[in-house]
Amino acid sequence: MSVRRLPVYILLDTSGSMRGEPIHSVNVGLQAMLAGLRQDPYALESVHLSIITFDIEARVYLPLTPLDAVRLAEVTAPDAGATFLGAALELLVQCVDRDVRKTTGEAKGDWRPLLFVMTDGSPSDLHAYREAIPQVQARNFGAILACAAGPKAKEALLQELTDRVVRLDTMDAAAFSGFFKWVSASVAVGSSSAGVTGQVSLPPPPPEVQLVL
Amino acid sequence: MSIVRCKTFDGQEIAFVDEVIGSGAMKDVYFSPDRSYVVCFYKTPQDFQARERLQMITGRYRESIFSQVGGDYWKNLFCWPTAMLEHQGKLGLVAPTYAKHFFFEYGSRDGDKLSIKGKEKEGKWFAAANLRKRHLDPRELGTWLNHLKICLMLSRAVRRMHFAGLAHSDLSYKNVLVDPSQGMACVIDVDGLVVPGKFPPDVVGTPDFIAPEVVRTSHLAKDDPKRCLPRRETDLHALSVLIYMYLLYRHPLRGGKVHDVDDEARDEILTMGEKALFIEHPTDASNRIKLKNAKPTELPWADTAKLPYTLTGPYLTKLFKRAFIDGLHDPQARPSANDWETALVKTVDLIQPCLNPACEQKWYVFDNSTKPKCPFCGTPFQGKLPVLNLYSARAKGNFRPDDHRLMVWSGQSLFQWHANSLIAPNEKLSETQKKRVGYFQQHNGAWWLVNEGLPDLTEIVEGNNTPIPIRDKVALKDGQKLLLDKNDGGRLVIVQMVEA
Repeated sequence: MSVRRLPVYILLDTSGSMRGEPIHSVNVGLQAMLAGLRQDPYALESVHLSIITFDIEARVYLPLTPLDAVRLAEVTAPDAGATFLGAALELLVQCVDRDVRKTTGEAKGDWRPLLFVMTDGSPSDLHAYREAIPQVQARNFGAILACAAGPKAKEALLQELTDRVVRLDTMDAAAFSGFFKWVSASVAVGSSSAGVTGQVSLPPPPPEVQLVL
Repeated sequence: MSIVRCKTFDGQEIAFVDEVIGSGAMKDVYFSPDRSYVVCFYKTPQDFQARERLQMITGRYRESIFSQVGGDYWKNLFCWPTAMLEHQGKLGLVAPTYAKHFFFEYGSRDGDKLSIKGKEKEGKWFAAANLRKRHLDPRELGTWLNHLKICLMLSRAVRRMHFAGLAHSDLSYKNVLVDPSQGMACVIDVDGLVVPGKFPPDVVGTPDFIAPEVVRTSHLAKDDPKRCLPRRETDLHALSVLIYMYLLYRHPLRGGKVHDVDDEARDEILTMGEKALFIEHPTDASNRIKLKNAKPTELPWADTAKLPYTLTGPYLTKLFKRAFIDGLHDPQARPSANDWETALVKTVDLIQPCLNPACEQKWYVFDNSTKPKCPFCGTPFQGKLPVLNLYSARAKGNFRPDDHRLMVWSGQSLFQWHANSLIAPNEKLSETQKKRVGYFQQHNGAWWLVNEGLPDLTEIVEGNNTPIPIRDKVALKDGQKLLLDKNDGGRLVIVQMVEA
């Protein structure tokens, strides 16, 4: 009777420009999101979370873990450095191929995974980024949502990855907390209604997030 | 925090604290200053039909349920909106606050690690084996008898709505608050209810509870004549699923069968719709739960061979068969809410306390065998077990079996609804009818019935009937006949003694 798992991947920009208040706000937002999701019995039964961080390299910060077993150490950002979003997408593809369970005749696999990408700049490895996009899209995500945080984030480039791009005008705690609340509401909707509508319909974004159309 | 004062459409003065305490898909919720009621505002403008429906719900429909004899009874079973209002262009409603026992007192395990103390007891927490075992504080879980009571309250509430010609349309554990620690249930979010021919549904329902015919036709346009939408019969499917889940902590249709290997959304639609199949179907075993795919914390509930649905006793077994075998794809064959209520009342009379003090369920249904044992922990019953078979008078002196038995345990009570078949234990009981008329006690190896309120109680022995006056007692013996009530519908009891 095990319910299908809902894999949720979060890609977080930890490049130098995130240092200070922005990365601090991201940490606060992440913790609040985790605490909120754990209070939701639907999410607790199905959500598995993975976090990939990227700056001058991409790394699996949290491998795909059931929600109730997630322990998060503080995410840190280096003093300076590039934004290797392309590398992060390549790593994501590897993780998805390895972790997401396919349905077999014997066992039901996972729900289509959800992907959230947050960046405050633009990919330094633009070529790799563009190469990775069709790879990501071939992984059949239930929803891909990108967040352009702060004035330097390039929405146009994110729109090459997904048509659902939101923008945070500021990079303070309130903005990030609004963003993570939205992520967790989206995950909660996904975990309680996955499958019936076919596509995950996201809740409306919080007022401090601008939807780029 | 500022307090906003306004008037409802019917002229009542109300007030709310200007701070959102909760937010759902449709509405924002505010507390009244004394927290005795809430005020909810719709986030989006409501069309004419929604307004008219709300007017009927707060007006005529509410009165038809609450303003009759026994009306107060329903205040515990429904959170029913009492008034409508408009404030700053937003449509709103006033509703009672949920009772205190519907909020977690202890929350989750390990000192409430999940921080759910004080949050609403959403039914899902109690209907999934893994959440119960792994996350909830054991003090929140309640006994199996209390779960029967939850199902009884729920069936009663749905029966009342259906008798009033209303359908809930979105029954699910999201819209029912439960309290297993006391055996209470309350139907909430009735503002979406459906009235056939008048107010159509505006939701298809909640996954896990949507009837197969609704899932199967969900791809069709809303006005397509082949499209099935929520109505009374789909409520009955949802009610059956809820009862199954609250008693067995697993979903009746979520088994191991895979219908589409490539597309899990399509597989889900087939599993819940066109190809829906009971996991315990007697002849088609293809959707049995595969134990190797189950989490350890889902055991033993995932093991349908170890804990089959038949452990719920003869009355519920019959209804589960009708709901998930005969009526799964045939809405007309589904048991009504009234059927469930009656069967649950009779099942409560079949219950026995488990002799194992560590048994998590504490109570189980007598399995009609000569060697009864608890199906949950396996502890056998030991000693003398009197079973009272109830017969009721049809013509003078002629008693027919009622297919109703009462199991005797120390402290078990006899009520007027046992003594007379014309009395049913429901909202119509008067205060005097609620009083116990007798009780059972084991003393020096014998079982005694103590008469507290049965003026007619008589032990029937051919040619030598012995009246047992009030405050007197009678020892129970195998084959003994006891007349409980001489009036119309009065019952005769034939005692069976099981020794194990």
